[in-house]
Amino acid sequence: MKKLGIIALLTIIGLNSAMAQLIKVDQEVFGMDCAPCAYGLERGLKKMDGLEKVQVSLNDGKAYLQLSVNNKLTLKKIQELVKSNGFSARNAIVTLKGELSKVGDEWQLNTDDETFTITPDTPANVLSALNTRQVTVKGHVKDEEDGNLDNSWKIQITEIL
Amino acid sequence: MKQIFSIAVVATLALSKALAQGHGPLYGLQTPTLAKGGVDFNVAAMSLATENDQSFMLRYIWSYGITEDLQLNITTPTMIDRLSDVPRTRGNSNMPANGDIEASVWYRFFSNAFGVGKRFESTAILSVSAPTEETRGGINVSNSIHGAISTGYASRTWYAWVGGGYQYYFEEGNEQLGDLPYASFVVGYRPNIFMGDYPKPDWRIFVESLAEFPGASSTEGQISAIDQRGKKVMLGPSFLGLYGAWGISFGALFPAYQEIKQGPKEKYRLSVNISYWL
Repeated sequence: MKKLGIIALLTIIGLNSAMAQLIKVDQEVFGMDCAPCAYGLERGLKKMDGLEKVQVSLNDGKAYLQLSVNNKLTLKKIQELVKSNGFSARNAIVTLKGELSKVGDEWQLNTDDETFTITPDTPANVLSALNTRQVTVKGHVKDEEDGNLDNSWKIQITEIL
Repeated sequence: MKQIFSIAVVATLALSKALAQGHGPLYGLQTPTLAKGGVDFNVAAMSLATENDQSFMLRYIWSYGITEDLQLNITTPTMIDRLSDVPRTRGNSNMPANGDIEASVWYRFFSNAFGVGKRFESTAILSVSAPTEETRGGINVSNSIHGAISTGYASRTWYAWVGGGYQYYFEEGNEQLGDLPYASFVVGYRPNIFMGDYPKPDWRIFVESLAEFPGASSTEGQISAIDQRGKKVMLGPSFLGLYGAWGISFGALFPAYQEIKQGPKEKYRLSVNISYWL
């Protein structure tokens, strides 16, 4: 009975570790000019569930986020937090694990809560290598209007990991 | 016991959680507002010297960001040494150097973050004030309202803000303090040596200027209103240092031009401000 319990637990953990999710986000932040700005943003980000490591750079104008295993964070939540700190969230470089699917003529990567449509400027060799259902990729997520975020993004994949 | 505890809590807050105006200038109008849910405490030590006298006061400011564009502030003074003959001025645009308790709303109605560390923004301020003394410079002092608007540019290297405001005191016992239109202009610069990345200390210098045009006060028994307005231009440096959740700023303003119709001439204004962001 005890063995069965352990097997069930491991199965659950195994399933969870395979969930589609964001892994790493380098979020570009415009308008952040001073130490209290960076302090406030860093503190706000640290309060979000699902982050393992946060670093904010004033000179780069970026928030570097390492997400924890089995996190539920979305790029939308991250960008909304940037906005609530008075700044503008722009482009992001993300590493994510997603489910690959084709909708019409477009290829999409889906995490649990967000859809990343793969843009045509993704290099052909990268596109042709996307042949498994679940992939881990790194890519450049295009800027969306801060006031119009809706869990749908456009991504240029630069690397399959 | 409960009263003593309350006083101790208030005193501790007042002494340990000081506010400045955050990341902006000390005397001039500015535009930055707190993050949504952000809290900021400041304490400022301020002095204003006239030809014959000098005032000293501590001022506390508590600020809260309702949204990233809307901020509430309340500021209260502890007067240590009042002037018997008071020049007509707010002292600092963002917090009065007189004995007023002031509540204000800041609304950042325009913001355009267009680059790394760069943004244009504009903020409107609306305040109501209540005096802590019955007379100011021998004239009955009443509640007042204050409005201001400022616009500016912030970047990692340069800052600039320009703005203007107006304060109006209501009549009290047939007497009325003159109104106060004013304008402010501030330029800021962060030297290369302080371009180190967060969380390294972040310093910058401002050159601040205020132009004030105080209207004449009216007193009881006065036969006719005096239609004269003074002119005053104050100029000086201020410094702002930031480290993590803490900030300190200090600076002085000196008269560059004074044409005073009522009250004494000013010699200088001094301020030191400590901020803590919760």
